[in-house]
Amino acid sequence: MNEMTEGHTVKRFDEEMIFLHRLVLEIGGLAQDQLKRATQTLNDKDPSAAREVISRDQELNALDVQADEELINLIIKRQPMARDLREIITISKAVSDLERVGDEVRKIAQLTIHVYDTDGSPPNKQILRDINTMALFVGEMLEMSLTAFDELDAARALEVIRLDSELEEEYRSALRRLTTFVMEDSRTIGHMVDVVLGLRALERIGGHAKNIAGYVIFLITGSDVRHESLERIEAQII
Amino acid sequence: MIVEKTAPAEDASQVIHANFGGTVGDLTVAEPRMTARNVNVHYADKHAIIDVSLDIGRHEVVALIGPSGCGKSTFLRCLNRMNDTIDSCRVSGEIMLDGQDIYDKKLDVVPLRARVGMVFQKPNPFPKSIYDNVAYGPRIHGLAEDQSALDEMVEDSLRRAGLWDEVKDRLQQPGTGLSGGQQQRLCIARTIAVSPEVILMDEPCSALDPIATAKIEELIDELRQNFTIVIVTHSMQQAARVSQRTGYFHLGRLIEVGKTDEIFTNPQHKLTEDYITGRFG
Repeated sequence: MNEMTEGHTVKRFDEEMIFLHRLVLEIGGLAQDQLKRATQTLNDKDPSAAREVISRDQELNALDVQADEELINLIIKRQPMARDLREIITISKAVSDLERVGDEVRKIAQLTIHVYDTDGSPPNKQILRDINTMALFVGEMLEMSLTAFDELDAARALEVIRLDSELEEEYRSALRRLTTFVMEDSRTIGHMVDVVLGLRALERIGGHAKNIAGYVIFLITGSDVRHESLERIEAQII
Repeated sequence: MIVEKTAPAEDASQVIHANFGGTVGDLTVAEPRMTARNVNVHYADKHAIIDVSLDIGRHEVVALIGPSGCGKSTFLRCLNRMNDTIDSCRVSGEIMLDGQDIYDKKLDVVPLRARVGMVFQKPNPFPKSIYDNVAYGPRIHGLAEDQSALDEMVEDSLRRAGLWDEVKDRLQQPGTGLSGGQQQRLCIARTIAVSPEVILMDEPCSALDPIATAKIEELIDELRQNFTIVIVTHSMQQAARVSQRTGYFHLGRLIEVGKTDEIFTNPQHKLTEDYITGRFG
């Protein structure tokens, strides 16, 4: 963790900030692990493991609630200003995004259940291929955004924002490929909607990683870049 | 036993002075009511204010913050020549009020202090009735033509200070009998009774409870419609609540000035950041 050069006069304030910082990393780590596990359930054709992933989302929800309580207590006690205030806002928003990552991951697990826990025929492997590719991609984005937060690395955060454009392109390509599969083999249409929802969930996870990267830039520079173009964000960082 | 003293570590204040590259932020405003340029204040050998320049805009509240002894109150007192009363104090530089040099030797400080009024840390009502406290200024400055005009001025000032409803039935009772918060609002009523252009407030709420503080802060917001206000405060939350611009003083220098919301979310100078986040020391 890249802390400020000097601590607060009130040492307990430092401890509370460090605790919250680590809580974000813990929640982020859990969200990443959930994503990996959900994708694995699809590869392993394991609806039972998928149900475990869905059930484990409760842990993320509980940490989300805990983070909110800690944030409220800190605001009441310390009334953070400037950099501290920006960090508190960043933490609050990042936790909220990570909790939503958990919600999206549930949809991937749900896909496994829909596809492999029904009487119908399992899907052609090819139509699930893009789920794996995109899951790896957004997993990397999530990892980078959390590292950017931990190390206060604006360049890495900028890279995540840049990757989101690639992800959007990847998402559109995946939808085009799916359409082609369905046109070629209409029997795949039964799984089409599930897969589209899965791809959409992954695209949203990438969006949450991008949001976290935006908060990190806000934390470092004080500029709200959420609705700025990549060029403008780059200009602000440089 | 003789203990050999080691050389002292380099004084942090010397480092700050050596590295000071001028106030961060825009010192100027479009329509200044007051302008201070290169103001220096010495108390005997002590250089209390060093080259401070700052505009005070019309109808704005400017908050001055900083650690104890940083010079914020000294600078405030320069704005209506309150430092003149201290023999060892020397003020240099230029301070203008509506384009007029307030340190002009020909200028009478009594009307100046009516134009630039002051409210102090501790409420200091005169040992007179509530009515006479407020009527004092208009009387000595000859602002009221007759008794009914004076009555009107007293009522208007007390209303503007948010005190009228609480004291209208006991105007002849001593001002010192009011609560601390009421006394401070009485002092504000006394200040605005002479229609100042600028009101200087030196930690006006530091002796008040949170409810009385909230009333003063509400009042400051209303007074801004008609007056320009410069407030020195130790409470950063108060500065954030009441002011539009904030200046941070440190070791006699104005380190940074800017829009209040920017100062408290994204200050540009490390000293400002360290102070407002509680890392100073």
